[in-house]
Amino acid sequence: MTGAPWISVALPLSRLAALATLPRRGGKVGAAVPSKTIRTRHSAPPEPTSRTPRPVDSTILLLLVQDGVVNGAIYALIALSLVLVFTVTRVILIPQGEFVAYGALTLAAFEAGHRPGTVGLLLALGAAAFVADLAAGRHTLDARSLGAIALRDLVLPAAIAGATLVVPEKPGLLVGILLTLAIVTPMGAYLHAVAYRPLEHASVLVLLVASVGCHLALTGLGLVFFGAEGSRTPPLSDAMIPAGPLVVSGQSLWMLALTAAIILGLWTFFGLTLIGKALMATAVNRLGARLMGIAPSMAGRLSFSVAAFIGALSGILVAPLTTIYYDTGFLIGLKGFVAAIIGGLASYPGAALAAVLVGIIEAFSSFHASAFKEVIVFMAIIPVLLWRSLRSHPVEDDE
Amino acid sequence: MKRMVLALAMAGAALSFPALAAEPVKIGVTIAKTGPAASLGIPQANSVPLFPTEVAGHKIEWIVLDDATDSTKGVANARKLASDDKVDAILGSSTTPVSLAMIEVAAEAKVPMITVAASSKLISPMDDKRRWVFKTAQNDSLMADAIVEHMVKAGIKSVGFIGFNDAYGDGWLTEITPRLEAKGIKLVATERFARTDTSVTGQTLKLTAAQPDAVLIAGSGTPAALPQKTLKSRGYAGKIYQTHGVANADFLRVGAKDVEGTILPAGPLLVAEQLPESNPVRKVALDYTRAYEAKNGAGSLATFGGHAYDAAILLATALPVALKSGAEPGTPAFRAALRDALEGLKEVVYTHGVATMSPTDHIGQDQRARVMVTIEGGKWKLLSATN
Amino acid sequence: MSRLAPLLAGLAILALPLVPGVPPFWFTLLNYAGLAAIVVVGLVVLTGMANIMSFGQGMFVGIGAYTSALLTLHLGVSPWLGLPAALAVAGACAWVVGAITLRLSGHYLPLGTIAWNISFFYVLGNSDWLGRYDGLPGLPPIAVFGTPLLASEQVFYLIWGCVGLSVVLTLSLMRSRTGRAIRALKGGRVAAEAFGVDTGRIKIVAFVYAALLAALSGWLYAHVQRAINPTPFSLNASIEYLLMAVLGGAGSVWGGVFGATLVTLLKDQLQNVLPLVLGAEGNFEAIVFGVLFVLLLQRAPDGLWPLLTRRTGAPPPPAPVAAPPLPPRRAAVSGPLLEASGLRKVFGGLVAVDGIDFSVAPGEVVALIGPNGAGKSTTFNLVTGVARLSAGTVRLFGRDTSALPSRAVARLGVARTFQHVKLVGTMSVIENVALGAHLRGSAGAVRGALGLDRAEEAALFAEAQRQLDRVGLGALRDRPAASLALGQQRIVEIARALCLDPALLLLDEPAAGLRHQEKAALADLLNRLRGEGLGILLVEHDMDFVMGLADRLVVMNFGAKLCEGPPRVVRTNPAVVEAYLGSAA
Repeated sequence: MTGAPWISVALPLSRLAALATLPRRGGKVGAAVPSKTIRTRHSAPPEPTSRTPRPVDSTILLLLVQDGVVNGAIYALIALSLVLVFTVTRVILIPQGEFVAYGALTLAAFEAGHRPGTVGLLLALGAAAFVADLAAGRHTLDARSLGAIALRDLVLPAAIAGATLVVPEKPGLLVGILLTLAIVTPMGAYLHAVAYRPLEHASVLVLLVASVGCHLALTGLGLVFFGAEGSRTPPLSDAMIPAGPLVVSGQSLWMLALTAAIILGLWTFFGLTLIGKALMATAVNRLGARLMGIAPSMAGRLSFSVAAFIGALSGILVAPLTTIYYDTGFLIGLKGFVAAIIGGLASYPGAALAAVLVGIIEAFSSFHASAFKEVIVFMAIIPVLLWRSLRSHPVEDDE
Repeated sequence: MKRMVLALAMAGAALSFPALAAEPVKIGVTIAKTGPAASLGIPQANSVPLFPTEVAGHKIEWIVLDDATDSTKGVANARKLASDDKVDAILGSSTTPVSLAMIEVAAEAKVPMITVAASSKLISPMDDKRRWVFKTAQNDSLMADAIVEHMVKAGIKSVGFIGFNDAYGDGWLTEITPRLEAKGIKLVATERFARTDTSVTGQTLKLTAAQPDAVLIAGSGTPAALPQKTLKSRGYAGKIYQTHGVANADFLRVGAKDVEGTILPAGPLLVAEQLPESNPVRKVALDYTRAYEAKNGAGSLATFGGHAYDAAILLATALPVALKSGAEPGTPAFRAALRDALEGLKEVVYTHGVATMSPTDHIGQDQRARVMVTIEGGKWKLLSATN
Repeated sequence: MSRLAPLLAGLAILALPLVPGVPPFWFTLLNYAGLAAIVVVGLVVLTGMANIMSFGQGMFVGIGAYTSALLTLHLGVSPWLGLPAALAVAGACAWVVGAITLRLSGHYLPLGTIAWNISFFYVLGNSDWLGRYDGLPGLPPIAVFGTPLLASEQVFYLIWGCVGLSVVLTLSLMRSRTGRAIRALKGGRVAAEAFGVDTGRIKIVAFVYAALLAALSGWLYAHVQRAINPTPFSLNASIEYLLMAVLGGAGSVWGGVFGATLVTLLKDQLQNVLPLVLGAEGNFEAIVFGVLFVLLLQRAPDGLWPLLTRRTGAPPPPAPVAAPPLPPRRAAVSGPLLEASGLRKVFGGLVAVDGIDFSVAPGEVVALIGPNGAGKSTTFNLVTGVARLSAGTVRLFGRDTSALPSRAVARLGVARTFQHVKLVGTMSVIENVALGAHLRGSAGAVRGALGLDRAEEAALFAEAQRQLDRVGLGALRDRPAASLALGQQRIVEIARALCLDPALLLLDEPAAGLRHQEKAALADLLNRLRGEGLGILLVEHDMDFVMGLADRLVVMNFGAKLCEGPPRVVRTNPAVVEAYLGSAA
């Protein structure tokens, strides 16, 4: 690692571009036995003399794109949640990455036969939300609303915690997933009630800083609950489907399909339904939303819960593909943030596309200059940000 | 009644006399209990309760601080320990960059420091500052020697490297590159990855495209499993070497069947049970293993904790010598005496081998400090010395 | 009390080493607090004053540290020579990074700074000449008169001396002409530009200034720590600086120092106390810190310092000093001041202004009237260069200004007020007014920071006081602008506009929110200004006010001109009655 890696970036890229147009080598054989094309021959002792580095071929190109798309899907899921939360509450939800890690590691804990520490957190957050809800609604409190708040903030987490006690020690993948979603999803609503609702009139930047505070606390808790080492979970599907020169794992198909479904779902909900439009309008027009029967706190709770749900689900989807750590969330959350911003923090398909773009840039830079991967990814977004900034920036920048 | 109390008090005084008279020895511990190197620091912190609490009639007080893998915090901790707690020695830290920064404080305050980080930079070249620094974790160079030796025997001609994009990966790359060159083994690809990367497909493709006979993965703990799993899923069939950084149970758990057959150098502690009875390390290592697992659960052993324990053994062995000098613990004279005593240690058996210090060698390890290990059936297996 | 508090705190800190029995580690901690405080003071300028949220200060600390480290290590020069180099390199880098990044708006900017900081970290870690991840150990300590400063107690004075210097320079800069321009960014770019502030440039000035302080801290860090590596300059460090600023109170320099000290001490204490309380090991301080931080934001979104000192962030403006009046900016103008012809503005598909012509002569009051949404304010923006024309030409003082930005228009002698008041709420009234005289001063950031601008400042403030007295609000000079009633704020805007010494004055609904007497006083003032030869263009809804004052009315409806003429003619125009007066009256 002594030479200048930048030079090696430039070279293979041009070579790659040239090769992309060449016919694929050994097409038919490659299609029949897909993984052979990149398998190196090591069963026999290697001949030391005839070793010339193989040029970057189109298979590698495809593999990188595939990797980029699968990674991009994770970023897309995060970006979608960020867009959702931002449009409804103006909060940039940096702790979204923690929901991903919590989802993956909670499931891994169930798989390993432990009771995840997140159960305790759920109970504690619920209790804190109860106090916060009481404080927020102290002027309009009656027996009925008190009951509803208690049901939502105290009884529900207690019931979920109870469920984790009655299931067998290793509850199986499906039950584990359901429990994980049940544990993490309400955390979103509680987090909103405890941390963000008291700040609902604050500026975007104050909300952003509050998000950083939440992120610090949740990451610290993650270390306490799950330890420093990572975990993986069994895949939802073991299938390996040959597709041309590639092998597509069932897990990555699951992931892409669910991502697409969520994008479609969010897009239809917010784009086409009246309540969705009203929900989206809460950020800019509280009165209008109220007229639609949506209280801002309800809208916030809802969007945070959906974000936590998507986060936990992404964690569950990604944990079989890679190892997840208590602090994995930050960097993937940041890349999701990048995607959401490139998408303008408003458009779901835009954010998803940008996420895939980030994933692909990352895959290619990890191939060409892995030591400078983050440098390339983050420097690549500066021009995009400039372009975005110039386009979206009218004369008046205040209110 | 009064008389009885008096008698009891006197008896108590008599009993506790050595402890009363003897100033307690204070040792400061600053390690990465949190932050990126937490997987090293946590087992080290867990080992502290197993440290000796009394030596030659003097109580030893261990003061443990967390530096969060941050050199600023590490230096602040070292200053606090040296200036406020007036410790007689400092143990730590877990990583090379933090330890490198702490050397300045140790040398300034003239407190002996035993680091549990890996790089040989910490103790060489020997100079005025490094006089105060001792080390228990095997030098990367010792481990790199072992790997290259193994590669030569296995007839490997080309190697691909993938390591952490941090000080750990750096250390390995700088150690392994000249050694491979010396043996005529080509380093055909050097790739880097980050601990929390969700994918290393790009790096893996680059590695396999270079067609190396073997791949060396330089990472610590569970993150080191990801490149290996990706290589396997890409059908890479060459040998895979790991470093001693992966020597914990979590690596086996996460790596599962994909890490079978991995070859790595490690401290003898990892496979203490498989060591021959004649090996002196065996008993010490087994005692430590049992004590550690009794406290932290079966299978919880990580060799990183052993480095901290070894540092405690070094101190416990050197302290009686230093005490004989007549200096009182807590004084500069005592610290200097302790430093001299550490430098004079001979044939100290600890969990990672046998150490013999000298003015130029502040780690004092030899071949006995490393074994080659493979993974078989989800367990660490000692490879015979000739393998 | 509030003015004495920081002084007393400073004295207490300085006297600390003299107190026997103070644990030496306190100095170590306070040293780290001081190092952070220097960075945070810069961040206060950036975030609290210039409204630029940066997650990238750690990078500039790193640039300062690495520059000096490389010089002292490889060339063997004294750290004292490393300091100017560190400042120069960091300043230059900040200039380049700022020129690219500060064009970003909204949340793009914080993300942009995050991107720089992350990239910087990996470049440090992968560059051989920077020592890669292990960094550069064995740096020389700073020596004073041949004595190397090694122990914490020795370094303490150096670090806190630098903190004091940063605070003094920053306070001085913030009170200066450049500082007012920086703080005006908080009130929106449009208002600042309208008084001739080049906001793009001033943002870079603020950015570079913050980077210089960061580099100073980095230089100290490198030679106090005597070993550096990439971690202390990572994104996490930058985030922590920002948290310190927000926690202490990003609105004031003292708040920044307080925040840095508090966070440093708090984190250390949490690390000591929490394991005892919880009986377990872990990163509990991060958890408690995060929770405390969020709770604190909820209780005190402006930070703790204003809460403790019960004072807004504004540093007190200078006391009134007698000073010679500023020279007038121009001789009287002959011919029309403003000629607008065929003004047209299209937003998307919507035609907001459609073919408007009018002119304003010296000593003439022209009123632009029409129902809401008729395009009056847009016309104002077109004339003053705030909005770009879709078609048509604007001539000011006989010169085609259609393509000029608003700060160039201001330079010609055009001043305006805004429909939605654009004052900086945290700044005192007089400072807001003095911003109007921005173009009549010339002191730059350096002169301001070093306090070499006293005479000019006194003249600017005397002028501001004169204009404030003229509009009858002289007594409110020291109040924060936000504390005034909305009607008064409009009058303050007029005083600010007058401070420019304009030849043409554009007033957007000046009488809105005024009581009857105040309106009379305003009309009186405008009459006097007309008498002095000023041209005044007015948008106003209060018909009595307009009819009594204006020489000529231009009536707009749906972006087009309905009619034009003296009040009594317009009053009887059937189209106007139909479209406007009929419904309004």
